Amino acid sequence: MASIALKSFVGLRQQVSTEKSHYFFTSQSQTKPPRKLKLQVLASKSSPRLTNRNLRVAVIGGGPAGGAAAETLAKGGIETYLIERKMDNCKPCGGAIPLCMVGEFDLPLDIIDRRVTKMKMISPSNVAVDIGQTLKPHEYIGMVRREVLDAYLRERAKDNGAEVINGLFLKMDVPKDGVSPYVLHYNGFDGKVGGVGEKRTLEVDAVIGADGANSRVAKAIDAGDYDYAIAFQERIKIPDDKMAYYEDLAEMYVGDDVSPDFYGWVFPKCDHVAVGTGTVTHKGDIKKFQLATRKRAKDKILGGKIIRVEAHPIPEHPRPRRLLGRVALVGDAAGYVTKCSGEGIYFAAKSGRMCAEAIVEGSENGKRMVDERDLRKYLEKWDKTYWPTYKVLDVLQKVFYRSNPAREAFVEMCADEYVQKMTFDSYLYKTVAPGNPLQDLKLAVNTIGSLVRANALKKEMDKLSV
Amino acid sequence: MSISLALFSPPTQPPLLFPSSPSTKPHLTLKPHLSLRPSKFLTTTKASAENGAGTSPTAATALEIQPDQKVAETPQQVVKKDESSVGVNGSAGAVETEEDKVLSQFVDPKWVVGTWDLSQFQKDGSTDWDAVIDAEARRRKWLEGNPETSSNDAPIVFDTSIIPWWAWIKRFHLPEAELLNGRAAMIGFFMAYLVDSLTGVGLVDQMGNFFCKTLLFVAVVGVLLIRKNEDLENLKKLLDETTFYDKQWQATWQDEKPGSSKN
Ligand SMILES: Cc1cc2nc3c(=O)[nH]c(=O)nc-3n(C[C@H](O)[C@H](O)[C@H](O)COP(=O)(O)OP(=O)(O)OC[C@H]3O[C@@H](n4cnc5c(N)ncnc54)[C@H](O)[C@@H]3O)c2cc1C
Repeated sequence: MASIALKSFVGLRQQVSTEKSHYFFTSQSQTKPPRKLKLQVLASKSSPRLTNRNLRVAVIGGGPAGGAAAETLAKGGIETYLIERKMDNCKPCGGAIPLCMVGEFDLPLDIIDRRVTKMKMISPSNVAVDIGQTLKPHEYIGMVRREVLDAYLRERAKDNGAEVINGLFLKMDVPKDGVSPYVLHYNGFDGKVGGVGEKRTLEVDAVIGADGANSRVAKAIDAGDYDYAIAFQERIKIPDDKMAYYEDLAEMYVGDDVSPDFYGWVFPKCDHVAVGTGTVTHKGDIKKFQLATRKRAKDKILGGKIIRVEAHPIPEHPRPRRLLGRVALVGDAAGYVTKCSGEGIYFAAKSGRMCAEAIVEGSENGKRMVDERDLRKYLEKWDKTYWPTYKVLDVLQKVFYRSNPAREAFVEMCADEYVQKMTFDSYLYKTVAPGNPLQDLKLAVNTIGSLVRANALKKEMDKLSV
Repeated sequence: MSISLALFSPPTQPPLLFPSSPSTKPHLTLKPHLSLRPSKFLTTTKASAENGAGTSPTAATALEIQPDQKVAETPQQVVKKDESSVGVNGSAGAVETEEDKVLSQFVDPKWVVGTWDLSQFQKDGSTDWDAVIDAEARRRKWLEGNPETSSNDAPIVFDTSIIPWWAWIKRFHLPEAELLNGRAAMIGFFMAYLVDSLTGVGLVDQMGNFFCKTLLFVAVVGVLLIRKNEDLENLKKLLDETTFYDKQWQATWQDEKPGSSKN
């Protein structure tokens, strides 16, 4: 059994199926004929064929998760509905995306406002380290405006045949059996701004919940809660000469002053900077942390005007339930934001696509009914692919973001080229070449050194306050 | 023991960061990083873990947030903003606030262009590293109370690694203990590494990447040091919190109906 080979995967699931090791749908391979042959073998044989129509799937929420899901569904021959309550929604977000997202989602270069090639990490004692030194000429972190990215992805879903509905999803009636439709209730706006809209219903065979952190779909399937961080962000228009510094540079501040468990940031946007911070543990103090972040960046944003203030929850971990019957959650609705970096756009889009692929596959391009087993394939693949990434970032955050000495050590560590290269490789491409054992060992020793020194100083500091 | 207690003043820091009680070997341990904030975080998270659907107060609020997407965490009105609207309270305004205007900056005659001027730390013809350590501790302490703007014109160039290792050792009277600790950690790391590459299974193999090694490394260091200090309580908390995260990921597999999984 293949499960032996896979057992090493630290038990998200004890029983590992044989098929797990080869997935037939990857983003690029969707239409390759030989793979399709295999698909038929895999489809749930029990589920009935659909007659006179194709499978109908509704995607709730038109963020990156929803847009990506709807596009993949529509391309795969599914009758797709995408419900978004606000077409020009401008989700509060730093808007940083990894390089691989541009390629994997075929994003046109003109939606990327800025290409960040310098990333400054700034320690509590203001030691600044540029962690972008190892980037190759073509490598960068993309900065997008969410209203632009989201609209683009939705548009593309539409071009591929998805029906995009401007409406607020309210609730759904869950069928008792495995073939009856889910009945979705929503307020249709038809592009009209203001007003409560018109009550409508929609019958579908499956639902993808991509409606973000406050997901109503999650509520509808009783998916449970997650801890969340509150992120606060101010858009600040700064004088041109100051803006020049942020041309291709982003900053991350760490320290007890800016956040007890996360980081503060200054990200460049099209014509302004976004200054923000987040915390899980001390949400009530967020305003104070924001002030501190601004203060630490003060020299560089002096004379700026705040043009917008925004705040939003960021999930800390997945919901206890991410799937029930023919309803699956993706993106923030499921809780896929990494610790440490707080990254969620790429993972939202990726999970949306992966879930859609599972539905396309399970329904044989829309010809059969799907059931929970088909959707579970998405979860299996997701956890297998990304769980280690999430886990490691969780541990790193616990170790390095929790006290000032640790943060000092962290920044010291980031001055190391090897660390930079590894960090950027894994951020930009989400895959990493195996490290070099000797370098790893050196890194280990150096890290211990940094931690020990920073900690020794901390002890001295404690003594000082007597 | 008596020495360490003398050295170790009662924590004046907010207890969150250094919850550990003074231990017999307080110098140079890594424990504080790995130990957990005792109270709030753990209790909330635990609550939601055990009861499944949100009895945890924080999490519960998260879901009650209604269509207009107000971020309804309790005390901070500031945060209550429609996600798509311009800020509620006053919105547009200058970045500088009154209190920002009071410019505070760390000043010390020996602190010259972003570093400690070592020529001012000479004693009997060599650098008095002890004094450098003292000075830097004082600077960091001061900064904690008075965070200061980072600046491109006046970057901080001081790096603690310029202080030679023996200076630290001497300073903290660490004959063998810490050396041992370091060695044990390294051995642990190496062993994990070795086992991993020999057997070809395990997390490192799974990802084959740097982060997993870091993870392993951190785990090994943590376990070694914590055990050394017999700080089992902290170790337990750490484990709890770590497993909590795993549980969240696994939870969705638990309600898989028997038989509904393929094959
Ligand atoms: C301040 C801040 C900064 C961040 N910075 C970054 C960053 O720099 N890089 C990064 O990768 N990630 C960042 N994130 C995380 C990232 O924003 C999210 O992970 C990502 O947006 C998740 O995408 P999503 O599609 O799952 O959900 P969302 O982007 O939240 O989209 C949900 C969509 O559903 C719609 N919707 C919600 N409810 C309904 C309903 N009932 N009916 C109809 N439509 C509905 C909403 O209007 C919205 O368009 C940041 C988050 C915050 C809060």
